[in-house]
Amino acid sequence: MNEPVIQIEGLHKTFRDFWLRPVAEAVRGIDLTVERGDVFGLLGPNGSGKSTTIKMLLGLLAATAGTIRLFGLSPRSRAARARIGYLPELSYLHPFLTARETICYYAGISSLGRREAKERTEELLSRVGLSGVADRAVGGFSKGMARRVALAAALVSRPELLILDEPTSGLDPIGTREVKDLIGALAKDGVTVLMTSHLLGDTEDVCTKIAILSRGRVAACGRTTDLLTRTQDARFTIEGLSEEEAKALADELSTRYGKPVAFDHPSVPLEKFFAEAVGAAHD
Amino acid sequence: MIESFLIAWRALLRGHVLTALLVLAGLAHAFLPFIVRSDGTDVGGREMFLRAVPGSVYSVLCVALLSCACGLLARERESNRLALAVVRPVSAFTVVLGKLLALVAVAAIVLAFNSALTCARGGWKGCVHVYEPVLEPPEIAARRAMEEMLKDTNTPQEVRSAPRHTLLTILTGREIDRYDTVPASHAIQWPFASEAANAATGLVARIRFSTQFNTRAEVSGAVTFGPWSSTVSNNTQSIIELPLLRTSSANAEGPLSPFVFSNKGTSSVMLRPRCDIQVLSPADSFAMNILRASCEMLFVIAFLCAFGLFLSSALSRPVAIFTALVMLLVSEMAPAVVAQYPDALDLSFTDRMGLALSRWITFATSAWSSPQPLSDLATGTCVEWKSLLRTFAVDALAGPLVFVSAAAFLVRRRATASHD
Repeated sequence: MNEPVIQIEGLHKTFRDFWLRPVAEAVRGIDLTVERGDVFGLLGPNGSGKSTTIKMLLGLLAATAGTIRLFGLSPRSRAARARIGYLPELSYLHPFLTARETICYYAGISSLGRREAKERTEELLSRVGLSGVADRAVGGFSKGMARRVALAAALVSRPELLILDEPTSGLDPIGTREVKDLIGALAKDGVTVLMTSHLLGDTEDVCTKIAILSRGRVAACGRTTDLLTRTQDARFTIEGLSEEEAKALADELSTRYGKPVAFDHPSVPLEKFFAEAVGAAHD
Repeated sequence: MIESFLIAWRALLRGHVLTALLVLAGLAHAFLPFIVRSDGTDVGGREMFLRAVPGSVYSVLCVALLSCACGLLARERESNRLALAVVRPVSAFTVVLGKLLALVAVAAIVLAFNSALTCARGGWKGCVHVYEPVLEPPEIAARRAMEEMLKDTNTPQEVRSAPRHTLLTILTGREIDRYDTVPASHAIQWPFASEAANAATGLVARIRFSTQFNTRAEVSGAVTFGPWSSTVSNNTQSIIELPLLRTSSANAEGPLSPFVFSNKGTSSVMLRPRCDIQVLSPADSFAMNILRASCEMLFVIAFLCAFGLFLSSALSRPVAIFTALVMLLVSEMAPAVVAQYPDALDLSFTDRMGLALSRWITFATSAWSSPQPLSDLATGTCVEWKSLLRTFAVDALAGPLVFVSAAAFLVRRRATASHD
């Protein structure tokens, strides 16, 4: 069955005050479809309606108009909620609970049995690299560690749809890399991911599809590669070419095609360089 | 539900709420007996101890747990943790119910500790069943009297034009305080449940005598109640507890048995049947009574906590705590205001409004504020199983069910504290 995981049609949300007068029109007619296995990025500036859309997807807000279907079900239905994992923008953890208790708590309210919850908790603690501090209260954790706990809590029920609101916020570059790798691994396992982020580089790295929201409307939507690739231009990378040889080649190509040819030297992404440098220092 | 219970339990435990309440209970038992003074008698000392020490622990427990209940959901909603819970496949009802059970568990532990310390003090007497005459409810007698009064052409116009409920309140009060006069060498009888007359041992008649002029005149007479009887000779006490002797082996038949008082003195005796005559029969031990009283207190606390959670689901934390405490105070004071001012005829408009509000609050809270476990415990009256079951049904089941359902509805609607 090839039913979309998320189907949004004509979605509107107007916030009203106590007297039911409209205060803000946060979402003004969004249509989106997210297929199984997609890593879908929801982008947009502040106030563009991303968080409101996510809250409506989670059933925390009711739409003013339009429909949302998750796995063909209402977002408020228990069956739909059982298939979702959610990581909010801030971790919102209970400060008096330990990391282990926190994940166990979310496993419990996600209808996992006692034994399964315990096993899954240990597995996730190891996966997010917190096994060593599993019995420390999360109130004393750094933002990045708290983020990892929240991520583990979102994954605890083995969700088919993972909704991540700023998943890398507060994480160091290595943590960011690990989260991005984790998202990639989850997508390979067939998990659908919907994420928002202000870090466009991260989004570009992991998202197979993106939608850009602006003032409550979809400004652009499609496959990341389709949207970002300039098919009318071409770029070559030739290993071991000196500056003089590159200049000569550029002149030759320019003469042959009668078009300006530019060249530069590829650089390593800072994130990769940082990880290598820190790894070398640890060794 | 167990996860919601555990998380609230850990919050109360790691927030040192339980420890603080246990320490407070211990301190109350250690120091309050030296501070409060009784009338010097054993009975008075016991009564004062029970009202002051377990009573203050109970009061602190009510206020503390009501405040905690008001904070639990509001804090989670305001920090968006509630939203994280309700997006899971769990019903909001079980989330709220789990929190209520954690609060009730804390209350149960503190009340058990309180009861154990009270019992450990020693020197307690068993409790008694208290029977009163089986009479027509005073409201019905008052309504009949009002109808007669309104039919009477001599009734003044200002009484005729007074609101019916005001007349009814005044006449009900009069009916409760109505005196039956027993002239010298005459007898009077009131019906009691035969269950009291058929008790195996140790029946006691508690009678408050009054004469037309004072309450300490000499009274002589005889009392018979089914197979039991006794005599009163030249008694000048206002209230006497008269041990009855079994003079016949035959049990009383039928549902009611007459309690007969024969006045053998020289002057008339006045008795209020609804206030002045009681038959006491031994019930069971103090330990069992304090257990039942503690259960009643627990049920009332369950109700209060459910109410606090309901407020907490709709209001911010400080507003919920303030509202809950004001409502608790008002609901405790309203019956006293109503009792103090049964007659609204001479009051100004604003006073009438205040009285009407007090009456409404008294009416609205009468279903759940009726148990008096501390008062019963202090006076040695048995906390009856019937009363316990009623309190359980109303305060621990029906009330919390309504409040938890309403809170769950609001939790789902208001899980997010802010929008985009």
